[in-house]
Amino acid sequence: MRSLNRSSIKLLLLTLLSAAFLWGCSPAEQQSSPSPDVPEMSESSNTFNGDDVAEALVISTTHWINQRDIGDGEGPVSNEMLTEPQSASAGRNWLQYGGDYSNNRHSPIEQLSTENIDRLSFEWGFPSGTLGQFAVSPIVYDGIMYLTTSYNRLIALDARTGEMYWRYDHQQPEDLRLCCGPANRVASIHGDKIFMATLDARILAFDRFSGEKLWDSEIIEYFRGFSATSAPLIVKDLALIGVGGGEFGVRGFFDAYNINTGEREWRHYTVPAEGEPGYETWSGNSYETGGAPAWTIGTYDSELNLVYWTTGNPAPDWNGDARLGDNLFSDSVLAINPDTGERVWYYQFTPHDVWDYDGNSHLFQADLDQDGETVKALVQANRNGFFYAINRENGEFIRATSYMEQLNWADSMEPSGRPVVNPAALPSEEPTMRICPGALGGMNGSVAGSLNPELGLAFIPVIESCQLMQKGLSMFVEGQMFTGGLPIPVDGVPDEIGDVAAYGHISAVNYNTGDIAWRYYDPQPMMAGTLSTAGGLVFTGSQTGHALGLDAETGDVVWRKRLGGGVRSQPIAYELDGDAYLAIASGNFQGIAAFAGADISIPEGGQLYVFKIDN
Amino acid sequence: MQMLKPTALIYLIPIILASCGPGTEPPSKADEYLADTAAVQRGRSIFVGTCAGYCHRLTPEVIDAVYLFDCEWKHGGSDEEIFNTVTNGVPNTRMIGFGTNFPEGEDDLWKVIAFLKSNRAECS
Repeated sequence: MRSLNRSSIKLLLLTLLSAAFLWGCSPAEQQSSPSPDVPEMSESSNTFNGDDVAEALVISTTHWINQRDIGDGEGPVSNEMLTEPQSASAGRNWLQYGGDYSNNRHSPIEQLSTENIDRLSFEWGFPSGTLGQFAVSPIVYDGIMYLTTSYNRLIALDARTGEMYWRYDHQQPEDLRLCCGPANRVASIHGDKIFMATLDARILAFDRFSGEKLWDSEIIEYFRGFSATSAPLIVKDLALIGVGGGEFGVRGFFDAYNINTGEREWRHYTVPAEGEPGYETWSGNSYETGGAPAWTIGTYDSELNLVYWTTGNPAPDWNGDARLGDNLFSDSVLAINPDTGERVWYYQFTPHDVWDYDGNSHLFQADLDQDGETVKALVQANRNGFFYAINRENGEFIRATSYMEQLNWADSMEPSGRPVVNPAALPSEEPTMRICPGALGGMNGSVAGSLNPELGLAFIPVIESCQLMQKGLSMFVEGQMFTGGLPIPVDGVPDEIGDVAAYGHISAVNYNTGDIAWRYYDPQPMMAGTLSTAGGLVFTGSQTGHALGLDAETGDVVWRKRLGGGVRSQPIAYELDGDAYLAIASGNFQGIAAFAGADISIPEGGQLYVFKIDN
Repeated sequence: MQMLKPTALIYLIPIILASCGPGTEPPSKADEYLADTAAVQRGRSIFVGTCAGYCHRLTPEVIDAVYLFDCEWKHGGSDEEIFNTVTNGVPNTRMIGFGTNFPEGEDDLWKVIAFLKSNRAECS
């Protein structure tokens, strides 16, 4: 045994006391407790030495089942409930990542208003227990909150008090193929089931009351370069999920799984096979490693019976020499018939992308006023810096305008919706030009925006952090990174480029015109989602570790609380017993924060905060 | 969890090479390329396009992969050790072996190692 200093001795004594206390609890006492079943301690060792004090408290249980009656008796979640606009539930629940199928994340709760904001105070909190970005957008139903953490912990909590009902810690392999941290953005709900996709490219279903696992299906072998970080989109009796892997040269796809059996019903590849339409847009055999991952959640229009799904960058990212052509269907939005998985139309945002401008950022369904006519549209703040409006019935391009302050990779937009590329902004072996936006984009697909249909505004979190983009030679080895170069952060990084600040803003975009109504500026890139409320507020979080409430009409800050860690989550709201709740999590991933030129001095570690306005 | 079975080679290489100090390292093919500007440039281009995208960055940043331009090596820093690590990979990590996939075969990998050596910090 090595010699112990005073603090080590204290830790050892605490450990011994804790172990003695825990071992003194009989199984009968644990079972009579109203809390979840408490696991037995690991029988790793009764002998302590200075080198394995921490190891002595390792808990081997990874799944805590609930045996109590929980919930408010609202019954199973039906297709009709998922199809209704969120306003139909008066904000009681938050059923989907995007709030409802519109993806607008606009809560009908009027209590969350500029008049009441001073009454919004802390109610309860809950830790993630994990490092990496706590990217969650919790779902709430039947008085129960379901959240996921980084590394795929799935947890059910009392939405009023934060008391834990059940927990499942997904066990991950050590060699995950992640490009950008261990994120998961949340689970989905249908019937009495909860669905979660995992970093090792699986999709699982759980009983929403007990937390028992019902089925577990492999999407694809993760070690070939795949992962899943998004919530599945539930459409009818299908759970739709796409995969990441654009930095590994995978062939992108998204799948539909039967929610009752876990069987795959269809797969839609986002890169055509030889001879299929779009194959001619890839030179040589580059389509075989074309990327175009479908790593974010889509949206569904039940009237048109169309699912809209977006795709990411072609591979390799920063060297397009070996994949000449437009590289369909990368960086696109695809309209899909959910009954068959077949494509109905597509629109490509960034043909022949060499900047890693995934088309995967948040899609909104909005009805546009165009010359007195209402047009069913999709609007999106694309990672490439343009705010798009697309006719969602037929895919026709309507408009694209910059929502950023520094966009320079394109000079203009053709009337057809094809960007006119600035030839100076192509990656090179000796790059000197700050290309804007950087590879993380203006708005990144890992965060959600929100849209207030009464105001006609979309609230977009924006990263203003340009990068040099360096091109190199790439070679494909399955499961290895296949990038063809790299982006070099320069903004926010003191160096010879000139100490340009990286910063962020929430931009309120008039989606009928593309004009910017207001901007809230923050000293760090904005990398958390936004939430809109009928009471006229916009909630978000900052890399400086603050939760923010903004006036939706002006952008003025009306509420600000320090949470601690940088915020990468997507805030939500719900209403129970007449009380309004706001949930927002903090917890950053330093790898991406550094990549954005943001502050990395605050430690990682996730924590969910729930605030409340009493009725 | 995917369990990759370690080969005897993976265990033997560090043991064998542990007995070889930096000062006793014999000249490698990478050393031959050090004076060849075009070769080092090709090694750089492969490193930029294949290794540096997200993993082994050109500057010491906060990421989970090893920075290859300092004096700390997890799996051995001699030319031969680097060659073997890149070729065979590291079990249970994202570091998959590149095998013989370099466009111009082993020569390309020696050129990458030459690029690393030409930019490495002075190590005592």
